Amino acid sequence: MRSLTKVIFVAFIFMIAQAQAHHSSVMFDDSKTIELSGTVKEFQWKNPHIWIQVMVKGADGTTKEWSVEGNGPNSLSRNGWRPTTFKPGEALTFRVHPMRDGSAAGNFIGAKWSDGRTIGEWQ
Amino acid sequence: MRRVIAGILLTLSFFPAALPGQSLPDWTGVWRVPGTVPTGATIFDQATATRGGAGAPGVRQYPPYNAEWEALYKENIEKVKQNRFPDPFTNCGMPAGYPRIMNLPDVYEFVVRPEQVWIISENGPNIVRIYTDGRDHPAPEDRWPTFSGDSVGHWEGDTLVFTTLSVKGWDTDHDSILDRTGVVISSAMRSTTRMRKVDDNTIEAQITIEDPKALTKPWVVTRRYMRLPKGTRVYDYACAENNRNPVDESGRTLTLGPDGTPLDK
Repeated sequence: MRSLTKVIFVAFIFMIAQAQAHHSSVMFDDSKTIELSGTVKEFQWKNPHIWIQVMVKGADGTTKEWSVEGNGPNSLSRNGWRPTTFKPGEALTFRVHPMRDGSAAGNFIGAKWSDGRTIGEWQ
Repeated sequence: MRRVIAGILLTLSFFPAALPGQSLPDWTGVWRVPGTVPTGATIFDQATATRGGAGAPGVRQYPPYNAEWEALYKENIEKVKQNRFPDPFTNCGMPAGYPRIMNLPDVYEFVVRPEQVWIISENGPNIVRIYTDGRDHPAPEDRWPTFSGDSVGHWEGDTLVFTTLSVKGWDTDHDSILDRTGVVISSAMRSTTRMRKVDDNTIEAQITIEDPKALTKPWVVTRRYMRLPKGTRVYDYACAENNRNPVDESGRTLTLGPDGTPLDK
C-alpha cells in the first residue's frame, strides 16, 4: 500500500517557495514539507492563484482530494507554466507546505511526474 | 530681443513640469520587484526588515514610529501571527493605494507622457496617475482621502519628483496598509518620491514619507524594479475570478475547497 504523505522538516533554508500574490500565506506551515502522490483531478488555471486538485490514496486505502495552491497564472506563465502543465489523470508527486490545521490543502513547492520530469523546486 | 528671450526663460522656470519639446526618459518595458514574497520582496522597507516574508509570523521592520503607532504596529504583528490581520485586497476589489503600489508582486509598467506619468501594476490591477502638467494638489476643501491619494510631480533632469497626499490612513479607516507585516500610516501622510532609471535594467524609487501623526522623523525607503526580457506580456489579473482565499468577519483568511466551502478546521 502506497504511503501518501511523508513529513520532511525543511532542510533547505534557502528554498524558495512559490509566492503568495494576493493573500497572506500564514495558514501554511513553511517549516514543514510533505509529499503527496496521486493523480490530477483538475488544474484550475485562474486568477488570483492556480489550484491543482489531486486525488491521493491513503494508507488505509481510501482516496482523499487535496487542494494544492500555487502562484498566479500570470507570473507562472512567465516561468514556463501553461494551462496544460498538469493534465487530468496524470500521476505526480507534489511537495507542499501543508496547512497548519491539518486540512487537506498545501502551498505548492514542486512536483515530479512519474517519468522523472520536475517543475518548481525539486532537489 | 534678449529681454524677450530672458523673459521666456524666466517664465519657463516657474513651470517645472514636462513641457512641449522637453526630452523625457524612456521607461518603456515590463518591470518587477526582484525576489519573491517569501524572501521579502513585498516587505515595504526591506532595509530594516527582519528575515522572512511579509505575512510570515513575527516578521517586522522598523519605521520611525512614535510610541502610539509602534503599539498599533505591534498589535497588527500579533494579529498576523494569529491569521487575523486582514489584507484589504484579499477579498478582491480594493486598490493597493499609495505607497503600497510600489510594493507588489507580479509586474509593472511605468508610462511616461508629457502631462502625466502612470504607474500600472498587473497585480490588482492598480494605476496611480502623477500629474506633471504644472497643476498643484487640490485645495484641502476640494480633496478627500482615497487609496492612491493625489500625486503631482515634475522632472528634474531624468528624475521624476512627485508628492502624494490625501491617502486613506489607519487613523480614519483600515482599508489601506503598506504590507502584510502590518505596517500602516496615517491620513496625514505626505510622501515625496524620486524615481529615475539607474541603468537600462533598473528603475529606482526613493520614497520619503512624512507623517506627523505616526512618525517621529521622515521615513526613507528605496525600492528597485528590474526590467524583464523584451516582449514580456502583461495579463489580466481578475482577482475575483477564482478567489479561494476570502477573509471572513473575524479577519481570518480562509482556504476554500473546490466546492467553495472552507477547508479550514
